[in-house]
Amino acid sequence: MSDLELSVMAGDTDRAKPLLGRWLWNAVLPAALVALLLGFAAFDHGVLSPANLLNIAQQTSYLALFAMAQTVVILTRGFDLALGPTVSMVSVGTALAMAGATATGHDTSLVLFAGLGAGFGLGIACGLFNGVVIALLGVNPFVATLGSYNIAIGIATTLSSGRPVQGVPKLFSQIFYGGSIFGVPAAIAITVAIGIALHLVLSRTVFGRSLYIIGTNPRAAAVAGLPVKRILVATYVLCSALAALGAIMMTARTGSGEPNLGGALSLQAIAGAVVGGTSLAGGRGGVGTAVLGALFITILSNGMNLTRIDGYVQMVVLGAIVIVGVLLDRLRMERSQ
Amino acid sequence: MDVDVDPRPDKPLLQLRGISKHFTGVRALNRVDLDVRAGELHVLFGENGAGKSTLINVVSGTFPPDEGTFHFDGEEISHLTPQRARAIGISPVFQEFSLVPSLTVEENLFLGREITSSGVLRARQMRKRAQALIDELGFDLDPSRRVDDLSRAHQQMAEIAKALLGKVRLLILDEPTASLTERETGRLFELIARLKSQNVGLIYVSHRMREIRALADRVTVLRDGRHIRTLDAATSTDGELVELMTGRKIDLLFPTIAHKPDKVMVDVENLTLADGSVRDVNLYARTGEITGIAGLVGCGKSELIRAIYGIEPATSGVIRIDGAPYEFPAPRRSLKRGIAYFPANRIAEGLALSRPIRENASMTVLDLPAFARFGVLRQAAERARIADIMAQLQLRPPNIERAAGALSGGNRQKVMLGRALTRELTVFLFDEPSVGIDVGAKLEVYEFMKRLVEAGAAVIVVSSELPEVLALSNRLYVMHHGRIAAELTGAEKTEQNVLSSFFRDHLTAEVA
Repeated sequence: MSDLELSVMAGDTDRAKPLLGRWLWNAVLPAALVALLLGFAAFDHGVLSPANLLNIAQQTSYLALFAMAQTVVILTRGFDLALGPTVSMVSVGTALAMAGATATGHDTSLVLFAGLGAGFGLGIACGLFNGVVIALLGVNPFVATLGSYNIAIGIATTLSSGRPVQGVPKLFSQIFYGGSIFGVPAAIAITVAIGIALHLVLSRTVFGRSLYIIGTNPRAAAVAGLPVKRILVATYVLCSALAALGAIMMTARTGSGEPNLGGALSLQAIAGAVVGGTSLAGGRGGVGTAVLGALFITILSNGMNLTRIDGYVQMVVLGAIVIVGVLLDRLRMERSQ
Repeated sequence: MDVDVDPRPDKPLLQLRGISKHFTGVRALNRVDLDVRAGELHVLFGENGAGKSTLINVVSGTFPPDEGTFHFDGEEISHLTPQRARAIGISPVFQEFSLVPSLTVEENLFLGREITSSGVLRARQMRKRAQALIDELGFDLDPSRRVDDLSRAHQQMAEIAKALLGKVRLLILDEPTASLTERETGRLFELIARLKSQNVGLIYVSHRMREIRALADRVTVLRDGRHIRTLDAATSTDGELVELMTGRKIDLLFPTIAHKPDKVMVDVENLTLADGSVRDVNLYARTGEITGIAGLVGCGKSELIRAIYGIEPATSGVIRIDGAPYEFPAPRRSLKRGIAYFPANRIAEGLALSRPIRENASMTVLDLPAFARFGVLRQAAERARIADIMAQLQLRPPNIERAAGALSGGNRQKVMLGRALTRELTVFLFDEPSVGIDVGAKLEVYEFMKRLVEAGAAVIVVSSELPEVLALSNRLYVMHHGRIAAELTGAEKTEQNVLSSFFRDHLTAEVA
């Protein structure tokens, strides 16, 4: 009995040390970001030019949105491989709806409404599908979203016949890409607003609290009476809705519905979330980790582009980063035990 | 099976000294000694989690021990692997089968030691040997059937046959009769007698007193990963074994509880669970008293209260709460009806360890307007309320923002108890409430129950610690093999009566 108590008390004091460790861990990524920027700048001074920094910020805002979407499901020990194809599907659907509404002679506001409705509708449907298959039918998230990955690609390609969908009204691009709020480009403004809102949801609502508890210990959450299945379905819907928003913003940028828009996004979003410090074991991460991770991935690919590193080599780097990110997470978990 | 004769009968066949094994954060074995002589059947006796499985895994080479010495047949053995263990004649039969479901029985028997000539399988020769072995064992088993087509009993036979193919010096059997019929069990016992006469040593894990009585030469009792005592089976009593297994008689003062039984709050009628762990159980619990449920591990006592709370599915029977039928129980609905459940395994089912104490204590009340309005948490109110509750429960240190995982077992249980104070509840289901917590914290838990009952709650306590349920409960049910074997009140509520209900043969219990 007494040495049980002793060992437990020793455990208590040990907790103080990892706290310092955690600060160090948290400082690693920002430091790496600065090092990365300076490293690339040594090869090409253009990296630090105001134009490129703005470019990085804008690029990051899309990826940050997707990384946030991915983070939300990863918090619950889930996964959304289908995020990229969802983006493609939403892009095609949004463009088709707007082209159709324009062709039937509706006025511009209705055309925009049709586009947004189709885009979010498709996104939410996709999330609902994933959520139901994973939470209610009990299919492993990896397999379930690998399935919906193919379904979404199939739908996006079929709807568009594999070609870019034209007919996206100018106004749409002006609002979601060209527009600015107090001089801040639309993409950045939207992502900042969504980031703040999501942060509040995660930290201040029953839903957000439940995500962390389910991710930390799903069994305990169920025993404590949290509606685990319902929350999981809602989580996948939220993830896909955020992806749909990102898809709409990217469609506005390209000015057409692109069936290949989401190509590498699934992996990039996972990389962003994981590198930022979201734990695949669930229950750890948030808006901050998603944004930091997205920033890291964007700077890396921006730098690799400017220093003319081959696109296929970049894929190798991105894949390796996901694995390193997961390994770091494992290491962190082991240290905290 | 070919059996070597032990050349040195005076020395133990297997000699373990000071074997320890840690898993992340858990000390599964703590300096355990074990001797098994050739021709001896040595029973390992202990509750679930006492370290029996870990110990047989060490002996069969699955887990390398962290410390200690391992002698087999007088030779010091280190870096034992399962392959090497088999090669020197240590043959385990685990409860979790090691058979490949998609292969036939004979393919499984020879898995990894196929008879080949220049790389080609000698199927006919293997079939002959498999058939010969099964005939010798007297099992009614077709060696050409696929394992996944077999019943559990037949799979068990295949597993035993697999262990006996080749040279066997030490056979390890982990609850081998769990899925065998009477007749098959008889065959197994004959086989065991034959193996003993051939000087094979046996390690036998079982909870069944009758088997221990019939087979054992010596019994080693393990508890909490420690070697408690090794006894001669012929000179020990059942009561002695159980007392050693479940723990010392705790000389700790239980609070005097003034039971004032009033109306029936929980009424269970003919309850049967989907997994068969509880069969046809009738039970009731009243407000103002503690209703105890005692029984050995696996008797269904936990499953019973888990079914009332809604985390084990029932197939038939009625549960009434305060007179009203409660259909399709589920945790959330149970809490709304005023029923709380405190799980035995607080790490697996109770707490989100890396989250703060505050969040762990308020987990069950996020549906109440006092804690959240329109889905938005009222964090200030939450902090004040939980801080107040944890102060009442004397959480040490009183910081509710620490991770629950940083707490000791006793304080973790206090966080769980805190949930009892966050909302209006009338029924409290405690599953092994004092497991893994120190004596001081135990007392506080008992005092807590006393306060609940004296305030008019209905409390059900399920416990494997006999002194605990005896002292706390006003009425005590004893469960055995999924059924209520006895209901004891007043003067009948003695250790002797409970023990005799434990060991009443389950056949007579079924008739009764």
